[in-house]
Amino acid sequence: MNSAKAECGILEQKREHSFWKILGKNLFPASLQSYLIALGAIFSLNFILPRLMPGDPLHAIYGDEALVAMTDEMEAHLIRQFSLDKSWWDQMLAYIMGLLQGDLGFSYYYREQVSQVIMGALPWTLLLAGLALVIATAIGIILGIESGFCRGSSLDRGLVASLMFLGGFPDFFIGILLLLIFAVSLDVLPLSGAASPYAGYEGLAYIFDVLKHLALPLASMVLVQLGGIFLLTRNTMVTLLGESFILTARAKGCPESCIKYSHAGRNSLLPVTTATGMHIPHLITGALFIEIVFSYPGIGSLLNTAIAARDYPLIQGILLIVTVTVLSANFLVDLLYMRLDPRVRYAR
Amino acid sequence: MLSIRDLKVSFGKTQILSGVDLDLECGECLALVGESGAGKTTLGLSIMGLAKGSSTGEISFQEKNLLALSEDELRQLRGREMAMVFQNVEDALDPVQRIQDQIAEAITVHRSISTKNAMDMALKHLLSVGLNEEKARLYPHQLSGGERQRVLISMALVNDPDLLILDEPTASLDALTKADIIRLFRSAILGRICIVITHDISLAAALADRMAVLYAGRIAEMGRAEDLIRDPRHPYTRGLIRSYPDMTTTKDLQGIPGRLAHGLSGCPFHERCTQRIDICSKIMPPQIEKDGRLIACHRGGIVPLLEIISLSHAFEANYVLRDVNLTLYEGETLALVGESGSGKSTLSKAIIGLHEPGRGQIILEGSRVIKRDAAFYSRVQMIFQNPKESVSHRMNVLDAVLEPLQVQRKGSHEARLRRAKEVLDLVELPIDDDFLKKYPHQLSGGEVQRVAIARALSLGPKLLIADEPTSALDPSVQAKILKLLMNLQEKMGLSILFVTHDIALARKVSDRMAVMHKGRIVEEGATNEILIHPQHPYTRRLVDCAFGRYGMENAEIEMMVEPGPVALEKYC
Amino acid sequence: MHVDPIGEISHDPLARIGLLMLAIITLMAIFAPLLSSYSPHDYTGEIFSPPGMDHLLGTDSMGQDIWVRLLYGARTSLVVAGAVALLSSSLSVLVGATAALAGGLYERFCMRIVDAMISLPTIIVMILVAAYLRPSLPLLILLISAFTWPGGARIVRSQVLSLKERMHINAARTFGAGWRHIVSTHIIPDLSPIISALMMQDARRAVFMEAGLAFLGVSDPMVISWGKMMHQALAFTYLDVWQWWLVPTGLALSATLIGISFLSCSLETAMNPRLKKDHARDNVRYG
Repeated sequence: MNSAKAECGILEQKREHSFWKILGKNLFPASLQSYLIALGAIFSLNFILPRLMPGDPLHAIYGDEALVAMTDEMEAHLIRQFSLDKSWWDQMLAYIMGLLQGDLGFSYYYREQVSQVIMGALPWTLLLAGLALVIATAIGIILGIESGFCRGSSLDRGLVASLMFLGGFPDFFIGILLLLIFAVSLDVLPLSGAASPYAGYEGLAYIFDVLKHLALPLASMVLVQLGGIFLLTRNTMVTLLGESFILTARAKGCPESCIKYSHAGRNSLLPVTTATGMHIPHLITGALFIEIVFSYPGIGSLLNTAIAARDYPLIQGILLIVTVTVLSANFLVDLLYMRLDPRVRYAR
Repeated sequence: MLSIRDLKVSFGKTQILSGVDLDLECGECLALVGESGAGKTTLGLSIMGLAKGSSTGEISFQEKNLLALSEDELRQLRGREMAMVFQNVEDALDPVQRIQDQIAEAITVHRSISTKNAMDMALKHLLSVGLNEEKARLYPHQLSGGERQRVLISMALVNDPDLLILDEPTASLDALTKADIIRLFRSAILGRICIVITHDISLAAALADRMAVLYAGRIAEMGRAEDLIRDPRHPYTRGLIRSYPDMTTTKDLQGIPGRLAHGLSGCPFHERCTQRIDICSKIMPPQIEKDGRLIACHRGGIVPLLEIISLSHAFEANYVLRDVNLTLYEGETLALVGESGSGKSTLSKAIIGLHEPGRGQIILEGSRVIKRDAAFYSRVQMIFQNPKESVSHRMNVLDAVLEPLQVQRKGSHEARLRRAKEVLDLVELPIDDDFLKKYPHQLSGGEVQRVAIARALSLGPKLLIADEPTSALDPSVQAKILKLLMNLQEKMGLSILFVTHDIALARKVSDRMAVMHKGRIVEEGATNEILIHPQHPYTRRLVDCAFGRYGMENAEIEMMVEPGPVALEKYC
Repeated sequence: MHVDPIGEISHDPLARIGLLMLAIITLMAIFAPLLSSYSPHDYTGEIFSPPGMDHLLGTDSMGQDIWVRLLYGARTSLVVAGAVALLSSSLSVLVGATAALAGGLYERFCMRIVDAMISLPTIIVMILVAAYLRPSLPLLILLISAFTWPGGARIVRSQVLSLKERMHINAARTFGAGWRHIVSTHIIPDLSPIISALMMQDARRAVFMEAGLAFLGVSDPMVISWGKMMHQALAFTYLDVWQWWLVPTGLALSATLIGISFLSCSLETAMNPRLKKDHARDNVRYG
């Protein structure tokens, strides 16, 4: 171990590697490989699934209902666009070329390019999910630290029980409950949408309006996410408080707040960050459900419509975009973890 | 400056410290020694106010009772007036903060000083413990074990505390690093009150003036560190030192029977003690001071089993024994070495009563021996040089072992049989009927000697006189017999007077040695000391020969050595 | 470490509540036909009739009795939960343990796949596949298992990795024990607490996913599902039917999920010795 090195009298001094070198060395092998595999899997799935179905590809891609609604012109256009009359190899090339150009296909329901449709809805989802993540994480961490620090106290027991209880509810049900209580019965907050349509708000008034519409969906998401983050932080805190460096800090005379936050708290961020990364797919799917409940015009509602209308290209496009979003978010979290944990940054 | 009175700490149902008293002055360093579970770390943590569990008693430091202070007041003292350096485990330092930051934190929590100044001070301290500026910006996992220990030391010293507690400071370090750290500590503890908690006795000797031995939450013995190591007076301390060899240890390692158990009534050590008496299991022994040594033992420490005062014996106008003074303590082996004709065999026989000494006294367990009666023989027994002669060839194994019991008419026949089997088992001989019927000529020399030892043990003696017990045996057998004797000593607290001419052998089995020459004891003391620094010229000659250094002629020695203790002073 | 799951559960109040909730729901599911006089598929009454003597929870948009549909929905959820838990945890153990024991390229390959699958938003993938394949209940179970096993595989692998290095396994190898002996005598017993926690986790996710998919419209049309009921009910909120159609269903679903959560949380506490409530430690002076 360390003694062996010391015995030789040679202590190699590892210099602080530049951030990017570490990035390259650490990230590329493992997690990036996985992300690329995932992405590849989705591309393949999108490509292969329709072609596995009986019947001609156009039929499979668009389904019965769509074909009925389509004009001959559109049909011909589509066949050309997707090279559906050519061999599989050509089709794949066309598919890949299309992807690289950002062409995700044509939504028959909206009669627009899929990419356009999605881009109209994506920002709202990102707003909702992003805010929910930030707020839930912040509150969850703070509550978790406080609770973990006074383990066994009535505050701790109460929080654990109530947040576990809350976390047991499925997201959409909480959303429904909140909707029913606040919007339907009490009529305090709006029932649906992201902003009041046709109201013509500008500037600050617009922001307020958006916030009002965000309140309930955001609240439902935060309530559900909170439990997991809180419990993880709390449990990590409890484990950490038994570690030796906490005793060292106490012996130094550190006040409680210092031990809680700058020592135990900072160390508990590490597993929480990792867990948050693993949690992001659930976050996004949760957002989708909430949007459906509140008719919030994000990707979720879009998906709902697409399923109902059997608009396969739209579904596939949504899958792709969501996957890319989730993978990028994961990647960012990995970067964040590296920044937080010096043991990874400066590996001996 | 630091005074602890009757400190008791309990955790749940276990009593970890059951009444500790300590006084330390400024500049003193005390080593707190003991095995795991003794409560040493708890004592250190209690002083800092970090111990779990409930405490009673008083710890006064800087005129305040630490146990009565509030958490906030204690926090202000911690790291500033009193500091603790913990055992250097993997996570002793916060893994996500740089070293310099952590040291600076120790400064800023106690003083309102700008961050930049704190960082500068931290850097200065790190430099003073031997780390360089580059290392100061590193994270804990990038340092070696020794470097981390230096950081922990620096962190404790940064506010110049009056009290410094070191908990196993060199535990996970290799020998070279340990030496460096010890040097560092020597300068760090100057001018402060220092408590070193360790199980490593050599570390205690290197750093501390005084040493306290903790057993099951109580101080068993306390005194000057060197004295305690050289001449332990509490049975536990002796057992501890016997189990931790240092480079001067000559006797083979021995352990202490039994296990540490908390919550016993009376003396916490009594179940493992080989010299216990009734009162030991009932009442906790008080700590009594004697000659600068504090001992907690009802019997005042290790008791002298046999005292020989001015023993003289003449045989046909020749003085075979001249004015012999000797003390043999409980549970130890005293080797009586000398050439043939020095009088060692005569002495041993005089003790057991085969010769009646002319003048002088023999005191056994505190009372003078007037005549050798059954009681005497049940306390002192002997084993002889030639086993095949000392056991009658007409008696089989069982008869031989039963003989002493029959002679003394002890117990019923069944009880005697049981006892015989017990002692045969003790000497690791089989107890089946076939073996019991064997005769000495059917057994090997080693087996017969074991039978002789069993026979000697059957009366349950405390002192065994072994007169050249292995010189008639093959070397490999000799080793086994000696190991057996050592085991018996460890288990039963048997004292052995080991008479031999073989110094190398005496070196491995004895705690103390007495050198006899022409009927007098010319030198006596701890075996390892005598062999390293023999004082008397005769001893020096013997030791040289034993080491294979054949220098002076025997005649020259004879001229140098004059009888009489008075004359000896010339050579010392 | 020595874990006694039964002991832990009987002492932890949260676990007992969870167990109770699950027990009630299971009993309701099993005895569904006895608890109601109607069949779930019959159109037994007026549409949207409020709760009354005939219909404990009223009727839905097609005149079917809500109470009996609730009971049968419990069956679906529990069946899915059990089947997925078994299937998924078996796969997790298989892949995770073999990857840890075999090592090398095989391990790296498996772990890349596992990590890739974990980072996917599984609901959407399932929606897509389900949309094409028009699922039946068994197919749904297979699908859900296919997406829940990677999470468990990671945990099993890290546990087996650390077990592999334990001294008692090395000791067994010094008496010449082969891998089969080691796996059956040392690894599987040590893994059982992990496996039970895993099964609970998988069960919970399965219930959630089945309900979620049904809520989105992806489900077996032959089968009664709570999610589907909620989806249908949501369309009629303006009629106030949510009071007896939407909310009880949601509550039943939540109760199932909460019950499983409580149980699995106490199991997790049991497995991590530092989390266990140590009464003596509460007498600490600080914090």
